[in-house]
Amino acid sequence: MGSETAQKKILVVDDETNIRLLYKEELEDEGYKVLLAENAEEARQQIEKEPPDLVTLDIKMPGMDGLEFLNQVKKKYPDLPVILCSAYGSYKQDFRVWSSDAYVVKSADLRELKLMIREVLGF
Amino acid sequence: MEIPTKIGLEILSEVGRISNSTMEVDTILIRTIDIIKNKLNIDACALYLVEGSPATPRLILKASSGFPADSASKIDLPWGKGITGWVAQHKLPQALSEAMQDPRFIYFPEIEEERFQSMLSVPMVYQDDCLGVINVHSIQNRFFDPMEVTLLKTICEQIVGCIRNALEFEKSQLMLRQQTFLYEISQAVQAEPTLEKRLWLLLIGIILGEGKGCHRAALFMLDDHQTRLKGTIGVGPDTDQEAQALWTDWVTPEQQEEFPHPHEKKTFAGLRKSAFHRAIQDIEFPYLQGNNVLADALFLETPQIVDTADELSNVPEELKRFTGVKAFVVLPLIAHDIPFGVILIDNRFTDTPIRSTNLQLFIRLATQASWVIENLRLFTKLIESNRELLTTKEQLIQSEKLAALGELSAEVAHEIKNPLVSIGGFARRLQGKLSRLKNSAPPPDLASLSQYADIIVSEVEGLEELLKNILLLPKGNKPSLRLGHLPALIHQVLDCFEMELREASIKVHLDFEKDPGPLSFDEEQIKQVLINVVFNAIESMPQGGVLDIHTSIQESGEGTSGAMIVVKDNGGGIDQETFQNIFNPFFTTKDTGTGLGLSICRRIMENHGGKILVKNNVNQGVTVQLVLPLQIGGLSNKT
Repeated sequence: MGSETAQKKILVVDDETNIRLLYKEELEDEGYKVLLAENAEEARQQIEKEPPDLVTLDIKMPGMDGLEFLNQVKKKYPDLPVILCSAYGSYKQDFRVWSSDAYVVKSADLRELKLMIREVLGF
Repeated sequence: MEIPTKIGLEILSEVGRISNSTMEVDTILIRTIDIIKNKLNIDACALYLVEGSPATPRLILKASSGFPADSASKIDLPWGKGITGWVAQHKLPQALSEAMQDPRFIYFPEIEEERFQSMLSVPMVYQDDCLGVINVHSIQNRFFDPMEVTLLKTICEQIVGCIRNALEFEKSQLMLRQQTFLYEISQAVQAEPTLEKRLWLLLIGIILGEGKGCHRAALFMLDDHQTRLKGTIGVGPDTDQEAQALWTDWVTPEQQEEFPHPHEKKTFAGLRKSAFHRAIQDIEFPYLQGNNVLADALFLETPQIVDTADELSNVPEELKRFTGVKAFVVLPLIAHDIPFGVILIDNRFTDTPIRSTNLQLFIRLATQASWVIENLRLFTKLIESNRELLTTKEQLIQSEKLAALGELSAEVAHEIKNPLVSIGGFARRLQGKLSRLKNSAPPPDLASLSQYADIIVSEVEGLEELLKNILLLPKGNKPSLRLGHLPALIHQVLDCFEMELREASIKVHLDFEKDPGPLSFDEEQIKQVLINVVFNAIESMPQGGVLDIHTSIQESGEGTSGAMIVVKDNGGGIDQETFQNIFNPFFTTKDTGTGLGLSICRRIMENHGGKILVKNNVNQGVTVQLVLPLQIGGLSNKT
């Protein structure tokens, strides 16, 4: 764990404080550097300030939702990988999801998410 | 030439006496003949009346004197035929010394006409219409003098008004009788609840409508495919008394006052036993135009009057053998342009044609029969569509419920999901940290702490699974199909319940002899269905029992077949109220249950293009049939 992922920065975008905290701890354990944002606006500022290597993005958020934000991110930073995280599996049918790099249904078990991150980052 | 005043007055007086004393046509005719015989020196006298339709009038011998007994009813003369026909047509009297020499003469052996040499024939004319003819005959060759001719003419002139009035009266009496009769029949028919009884009554009405019983009526119904006319009901009493008994038993309304529910007492068992009714059940004719007179009545939509069955090509041998008569009538039963069948009527003992006055009545009864059938057909249809509507309504309510449930549960699921993810996620972290601590330094308390974390983790897993189910319910997730074997899946499911089965000492009986082979289905989803169904079965048998699971192949009419899993318990079944609600989301009888189980199961089976059938045998058990099509969404499931 750690050495190969050490330099990689992951931006976690989620409106739930505890989820952000959980992701931060779990991903830091994996050796990533984790940045946090609780809405789209914060995330946009964060990306400008310190561009991450990957974004995990919640879909259902107050204000701009994840899918709209995904669209903006992909327009401005086409090479920045984004993994969508949602409580639902049903968004998988939404064509706007296609521009994301992966889609993970939220679970207390974060193994799938971690696997996806590794895959998308090319480890 | 003037008739002597005395005789003229006598005639006037006697005719006046007739018309004052009676309105019966027969009596008038007989008395008229008496007067003629008294006033004229003759050997025989015959009185003909015009009958039949205005287009084809006929002269019928109605009363006579001096002819052999019983001969009278047989003489039936077409208009214009014979001396009598000529007289009627031309409204002119004819006096003939040698009647047989006349070219117009037609010989009737029935009245032994060869005995008579001379005849006088006089028309009965009323307001320029000929109503009939009076003939007088003498055995000796004789000359009818003008006075005799005038005398008979006078009698005819005087009597014709009387006869006409009597005929009109008779006609109106007949119509009144028919009206009353139709009314009584209608009343009786309406009081009967079933189509069969109503038809029986109408047929009884027909045979009684003929006046003097002993006639037969047979109903042939068109089958559903409209290919055969099948003998259905036959009414043919053996005697007059029997016929009258039918009437008093079935139609006359008096007894309804004595018994509040007379219909409960009545059965048609006796009528069904009659030989005629039983014989008719074996008879049927093809429904093809030109093939037989029964079919023709329907195709032509008019009653078929048969007087000489032998001479007609559309009277099949079988029908001749069956009726054994030459004359009969076939009435079509048609309503709203829909053919239902025919009624055949004959005069069994006399083999005489059905009288035209009664024919009208029969046609009315047949019309009524048609409407009775049609009404019942429409009523049945109404009930059917009503039932369909109710089902649709229920389905609508069901899907509305599901839609509402879908929205609600999506909302709830989302609200629960996020906290659950963090609870579960941190529990996992706790679990991991505790286990690492336990490995480095194992103080005894840490063991229980890590056990608590385990519990949180496993509970959250269970809750997440539940949420997945709720989300599955409204969205109708498409099954991801993969080839699999049902028996293997069933074994997997039973493994999950090993402990429960042992604890409740439930015996499992498996039979995969009829294995449908590899099938495409969503293993996770069908497994979920099976878990639900098996779990319900186990719960219904806390005191033990037998769980019977078998597979089979379902053949349907169209040749497409499905695979079926049958899960049967002997846990005593479900009470009816509960049974009606088993597919209602959130309906549950269990303390710990969401009530979503069977509604999810149904959704899953429907998403597979299959279905779930639950049979409830109260006090025995429940049988659940899970049917999967062998073909799902164009993907062949047959190997």
